Amino acid sequence: MKVTVCIGSSCHIKGSRPVVEQLQELIAKENLGDRIELGGTFCMGKCQQGVCVTVDGEFFSVSTETVSSFFEKEIKARV
Amino acid sequence: MNNLTCDIGYKSINHVGEQLCGDHVEVVEQEDGSTVIVLADGLGSGVKASILSTLTSKIISTMLAAGLSIEECVETIAATLPVCSVRGVAYSTFTIIRIIRNQTAELIQYDNPQVIVLRNGENWEYPRTETTIGGKKIIRSLIRLQEDDVFIAMSDGCPHAGIGNAYNFGWKREDIIPFMEAMTLCGYTAKNLSTLLVDECNKLYGGEPGDDTTACVVRIRKRVPMNMLFGPPSNRDDAGRMMSLFFSKEGKHIICGGTTSSIAAKWLNKPLRASLDFEGDIPPIAFLEGVDLVTEGVITVNRVVEYARDYIGENKRYEAWNDGKDGASQISRLLFEEATDINFYVGKAVNPAHQNPDLPINFNIKMNLVQELSEALKKMGKRIKVSYF
Repeated sequence: MKVTVCIGSSCHIKGSRPVVEQLQELIAKENLGDRIELGGTFCMGKCQQGVCVTVDGEFFSVSTETVSSFFEKEIKARV
Repeated sequence: MNNLTCDIGYKSINHVGEQLCGDHVEVVEQEDGSTVIVLADGLGSGVKASILSTLTSKIISTMLAAGLSIEECVETIAATLPVCSVRGVAYSTFTIIRIIRNQTAELIQYDNPQVIVLRNGENWEYPRTETTIGGKKIIRSLIRLQEDDVFIAMSDGCPHAGIGNAYNFGWKREDIIPFMEAMTLCGYTAKNLSTLLVDECNKLYGGEPGDDTTACVVRIRKRVPMNMLFGPPSNRDDAGRMMSLFFSKEGKHIICGGTTSSIAAKWLNKPLRASLDFEGDIPPIAFLEGVDLVTEGVITVNRVVEYARDYIGENKRYEAWNDGKDGASQISRLLFEEATDINFYVGKAVNPAHQNPDLPINFNIKMNLVQELSEALKKMGKRIKVSYF
């Protein structure tokens, strides 16, 4: 599974750094490192909805508050 | 003319308790491509010394730049400087370094510590001739320039550093030479070399300089072109033209901005890989084959502008960008240290996501960043060309 987080200007200001760090932490905690490829990308063109994240190409809008529920629902459940 | 250029940098610290510096450095560029650099050290410290050294360096640099002889300059100074009421003399020592068409250096020295010349990283005791002008002993030298020659001019605050404290007789010229020999090997800029020397003197003074202390460094180096792309073009149909102009230029290529680098990736038909390594509070960089450095846009460039502002001023943050791995530090090293001729390709597209009053970035800020960065780089002595798309 490929999870991509936008690290462009807009998403950076909206908190892509804590989102990435929380995802890295959750992936390590659940021991999913070998099954999830976490990557970065520049602007996805949907800055208004940042922080922009895609899971296997499907778009999600994530914030620092919603990151753990997003991980449970969209990543852990699907792996 | 050849493909050499000179990188000039200087730094001063004041006598403890003084608000003004009694040393003054003046740099004047002439139309024929020559540069006159004057370091003057006024008698005493504080206001009086500051006036003496400012007058001396201004008079000499203006007169020399106008083509008058050194004899006339010295006579003018002797006749015009205000006489000190305490000591009954008008006095300011000076060092003149005149770089003629990047081929020859003329040194004219009066009573300052003698200029150190490092050639191929080693001290070189260049030929000197002594003349007397108006009762003053002047030392003159003519030096044929080579790439990587480094000239270090100092006020006597440098060799006096640490007297009676760290050293009995101060930090002698013979001891400053090996210190600077080691530093020049590291590829520091003239500004950073002068800062390193003055900071070391300040340490030897125990943070309380007993004299105004100034170092001025001139590095002879090859011209190095560099190109920076910032922002997508206002009309997307211009992207191809912008990219082909940018990539056809000689030298390294830097791309700033997410959308911009995506356009470049498409044009090059290569994948753009963003890293997730956060270094400090600057967004991570990305990798694109054929481009030397890819970074995020506004936040990164804003930091580069902050570094540039500091660098041409007090130069207190150079350690941050000299070692940093983040995008802003990497751009700073490329632009401040490596490049001498920089071409900016600036796209004027408005990013709709940035036009949000809650965000600290918008279109005007972006244009101001470019303006401010190119102004600062010009002050560093670089040739700047900005093209808008």
